[in-house]
Amino acid sequence: MHDLQVFAVICMLGITCYAMRAGGYLLAASMREDGIAARFLRLAPGNLFIAFIVGGCLSGGPAGLVGTVVALVTMAITTREWAALGAGFAAALAASAIGL
Amino acid sequence: MTTAGFRRGLVAALPFLLSNGAAGLVMGLTCKGLGLGAAHAILFSLLVYSATAQAITLSMWASPLPIVAMVVACIATNSRYLLMGAHLRQLFGGLAPRKMLPTLFLLADASWLMTSADVDRNGPDAGYLLGSSIPMAVGWVGGTAFAYAAPLAANGPLRLAAALLPTMFIATLIPSQWKNARSPWPWLTSAAAALLVARFVDPSWSMLIGGGCGTLVSMMEPTDA
Repeated sequence: MHDLQVFAVICMLGITCYAMRAGGYLLAASMREDGIAARFLRLAPGNLFIAFIVGGCLSGGPAGLVGTVVALVTMAITTREWAALGAGFAAALAASAIGL
Repeated sequence: MTTAGFRRGLVAALPFLLSNGAAGLVMGLTCKGLGLGAAHAILFSLLVYSATAQAITLSMWASPLPIVAMVVACIATNSRYLLMGAHLRQLFGGLAPRKMLPTLFLLADASWLMTSADVDRNGPDAGYLLGSSIPMAVGWVGGTAFAYAAPLAANGPLRLAAALLPTMFIATLIPSQWKNARSPWPWLTSAAAALLVARFVDPSWSMLIGGGCGTLVSMMEPTDA
């Protein structure tokens, strides 16, 4: 496999990914502010957060679930991200160490 | 786009230096295993900058390279960015494209999620999006480069940090989002749909389809949650 061919493929994949990132932004210019699509986008973030977390917990296994729950509860109590992440990662490591 | 917003995003996303660094390191070790040189691997992480797209295209790596299949895989795995980009237009539509379009080069799931939460707290500021994107990109590309610089193997704690920190970080945004929620049904729907999609379809689609189903339930409610 030629270096130049690998370089070209990487550039092509990079352009594709950027087109997806910028595409939604550019296409949305033609969207009505009070339309259904606009309302959908306004309501989407919280729901996407939950779906993202569920996917992450599944791929992380039981240790991931324990860590995420501990991070969430710590954040709700302390409102400090660093404390939540520290506690969550420590809990996940501990759960992993005991074989969860 | 303010300096204060940029700084706030940069500081808030600093933990991603660690998690994206670890994930980038794992990605770099995978590239190394496939025989890619350091320059190609770093360019790959810099230009594509998407764990799912990179993992899937690397799994297709063969001689000759299946270019069309790789491009289609990139489009399929990154279609969620269309939704995120459209949402960002709602937030930052007044900003000049010459400022937004370069920022979108660094758009990631976590920077979009963090920016959406920050808008609820502090109002729209594209500086936050740019600031939060930088530690993530530096971690990802730096981790990939580090895989070539150091004699390392992907071990337990490293893999765990790479896999879990993004999820845990987004989980810390949930309490602030809950204040705006009108009922639990949209979130329960999102969770159930994401679970089903991850189990029976493909985990990379769980966020988009799960979140989409929950949002449809939100739209059926009389007031915006």
